[in-house]
Amino acid sequence: MRYDSITEAIGNTPLVRIDPAVHGLRNIDLYAKLEMLNPFGSVKDRAAWNMARPLLAEAVEHGSQVVELSSGNTAKALAVVAGMHGLGFKSVTNRMRVPEIKDLLLLLGAEIEELPGQSECLDPTATDDPLTLFHRTLSASGSSYLHTDQYFNPRNTEAHLTGTGPEIVKDLDGRVPDWFVACVGTAGSSTGVARALREEDPSVRVVGLVAAKSDFIPGIRTIDEVQEVGLFDPETYDTIESVSADEAIEGMLTLNRRCGILGGPTGGAAYHGAIRHLRVVDEELTERRTAVFIVCDRVESYLSYVRQRRPDLLGRPPRKNSPADLTDAEVGGAPSVTVAEARRWIGTEGPLVVDLRSPFAYAALHIDGSVNIVDELFAELLQGGLPFSRSRPVLLACPVGEQSARYAALLTRMGHPDVRSLAGGIIAWRDAGAPLVRD
Amino acid sequence: MDGGPLYLEPRLEARLGSLLAATGTLHSLTDALGSPLHVVVPDQIAENLERFRSVYRRHHLSGQVYYAHKANRSSALLRRLAATDAGVDVASLGELQHALGAGFTADRITATGPKNPEFLWLAARTGVTVGVDGVAELDQLAALVRGHALAPVRVLLRLSGFETSGVKVLSRRSRFGTPVGELDPLLEAVERHGDAVELTGVAYHLDTTSVAEKATALEGSLAALEACRARGLRPRAVDIGGGFGVSYLAEREQWEAYTTALTAAVLGRRPPLTWGGHGYGLRGESGTVRGVLGLYPAHRSVAGAAYLDELLAQPAASLGGRPLAALLLEHLYDLHSEPGRALLDQCGLTLARVLEVRSQEAGGALLVRLAAKADDIALEDHGVLMDPVVIPRSGAGPGEGPVAVHLFGGLCLETDLITRRTVFLPRRPVPGDLLAFANTAGYAMDFHATRAQHQPVARKVAAWQDGDAWRWCLDEQFWPITPSGGVQ
Repeated sequence: MRYDSITEAIGNTPLVRIDPAVHGLRNIDLYAKLEMLNPFGSVKDRAAWNMARPLLAEAVEHGSQVVELSSGNTAKALAVVAGMHGLGFKSVTNRMRVPEIKDLLLLLGAEIEELPGQSECLDPTATDDPLTLFHRTLSASGSSYLHTDQYFNPRNTEAHLTGTGPEIVKDLDGRVPDWFVACVGTAGSSTGVARALREEDPSVRVVGLVAAKSDFIPGIRTIDEVQEVGLFDPETYDTIESVSADEAIEGMLTLNRRCGILGGPTGGAAYHGAIRHLRVVDEELTERRTAVFIVCDRVESYLSYVRQRRPDLLGRPPRKNSPADLTDAEVGGAPSVTVAEARRWIGTEGPLVVDLRSPFAYAALHIDGSVNIVDELFAELLQGGLPFSRSRPVLLACPVGEQSARYAALLTRMGHPDVRSLAGGIIAWRDAGAPLVRD
Repeated sequence: MDGGPLYLEPRLEARLGSLLAATGTLHSLTDALGSPLHVVVPDQIAENLERFRSVYRRHHLSGQVYYAHKANRSSALLRRLAATDAGVDVASLGELQHALGAGFTADRITATGPKNPEFLWLAARTGVTVGVDGVAELDQLAALVRGHALAPVRVLLRLSGFETSGVKVLSRRSRFGTPVGELDPLLEAVERHGDAVELTGVAYHLDTTSVAEKATALEGSLAALEACRARGLRPRAVDIGGGFGVSYLAEREQWEAYTTALTAAVLGRRPPLTWGGHGYGLRGESGTVRGVLGLYPAHRSVAGAAYLDELLAQPAASLGGRPLAALLLEHLYDLHSEPGRALLDQCGLTLARVLEVRSQEAGGALLVRLAAKADDIALEDHGVLMDPVVIPRSGAGPGEGPVAVHLFGGLCLETDLITRRTVFLPRRPVPGDLLAFANTAGYAMDFHATRAQHQPVARKVAAWQDGDAWRWCLDEQFWPITPSGGVQ
């Protein structure tokens, strides 16, 4: 395969059969349409390219900025396309809740604007809803924008009507699957594919998946949010079902670990929703049937999403010399000194004073002559053993004397003969009128 | 979904639940004092304060929790709070006088908001801390201090317009404060007035439900404080304002079902849920919902003290990613917060008597007229949707099962709707019954009430538990020693 441009690699994604030993359906062949294998990483590559392509020449001529209300994959694809044509890209959103995606967009040169939250003291007569303001800005005279308008642009749907849908039929040797399962975001892919499939065979059943209302699954809207999408038409779907974030992650794990498909939580939601829906009908079947779901993007961007909801999945074995291993009795028995004693001790024996606060706080004010080792680094240092000579006494200081007591206990356990914690911490030091310096 | 009653039951904690169960007391109160009637529960505010304090303790933070007075003008609540270690944030001359009269000493008061000269003078005279909006106000304050030979006044500089790096978080424009970009001239003014004012820190108050925006402002405040220190000033506090929210409803599912049904109604996919098909900001345009839902998010998983906790746990990207609470602590800064509504959570309810129950067409919603005006029960003005609790006059009343009603006030105006929403009640009310609107103490109690129409405005009483019984007195008669009968 040889291409002249990366955009030619958009589409023609594989249709991969899921091993029946994994999904457990007896009469249904289940296929995953791997939209994650598009060059910029998601199903949105198709829509972004199809929407932007006819407008690019004029945009280049006017030096327009490409703008879109997007929280993720569309923004990613548009940022790349804009960059390839020497154009800037700006995403405006209130839905971007995955930090890796923000970072990736910044890396791609995008400008991101997050919309403000709702007013706490509500003004029911307010007219300045942020989206209205955004659209007003776009239509203001003299501005030069290429607004792809994915929630209302028919070329979003068209990308799937002419691409994704027919590809599925071709890869099934000209047959239309009996079920098509898709998550609903802009509704572009589900609507376009459904229409393409129905044109071939109206008996296809279309299952739309939305997020449970109180949940957040990246790329999917809730049952209310889809109503705000111009491309959404409830008639497209034979049934609309909801999936929780936990179910999406479970589905994702199955795809990742058992199928070798490194899809993200939206693909996981589609897999979970497909199995849940098909398991019921599978029992009644006597002949073979086919179902297709879409894996819309890749797992790598969602590690913080997983860490937040399922930290157990990213668990690591316990570490050596960790302050977390200490018993309450050990911490309670940690050697400590009062501010007055510490000042005398510093004057007579000159212990090494270690300030465990962040460098910013340390830079602002600290005990004269102290060194700054921020607690996170200190914890890492201790994994390798004692970082000080046993012959030099050590005074540990933190804001209120709590962390320093833990580390004093830990260093004592590790064999340091004279380490003490500053009781009450730097706050007690300040309150006692002892000197703090900035140098 | 279609046709079934859509309840929005209020969240009731033990104290308010117990008060609502004291039906005899509530009826005798309205018999004596008229309808509508506000009842406040002073002991609850002390309990709420303790929840905020426990968040401070968890993060080892010192500093003050200031009650934002404007949320309710009750004397009983203010005096009960004066008996704790809380502070109060006043935004007018009257509120300052009220706070001083309730027993707050100057070290427990901050003066914020738009100030007239009298307010500024009394604040300076008594030595309360003043939240300063900008250079002009600082000049004015310094002139007052010098002109009247007053002691130097402690000031917090109110900042706004915080900016993030990388991802730009847009903020609603604010009338208040000085943009952080103009901090230097403000600090020059502080130095110029060094004989008249003493800088104790910076402040912000953002009117938003978004934790991210507030975290940005707090991070920006830390940077501003560093700029103060670099000039040799000695700030020691950051005041983060309030806006921590209240969760009004008992059941998340009810809130979700209601808002979904409202969306469907706006699109014409189910019968209207409101008087005249009002959409609370939403409208349908060829099958697509446009507009923004102008409702207070009435069910929240995180509100009040828990919201503060979440805010303090946010990482500060420009300061090494450490949590904001840890940074405040390490920099030895006091944290001041100013919750209004959140401190008043579960602190009161409003009672209104049913005057008339009228049937419209068969199967339609009943028209229920209350002895109250919409501005007495301002839940609707703040976008809070919450069902009233029916308190029958006698026993269980006729048990017809659920009914849909529209609640009207007593004004001769088509617009005097207690709520635009069709309200579902578990049974048909009858004249003489009371409807109790729970949790109205924050903003929804007397914020909007006027005497313009020659109709009585609601009176206010304070109630407290004495063993199994509820006792009460007029709001202005309540002092923290009242429950002991004044004998101790």
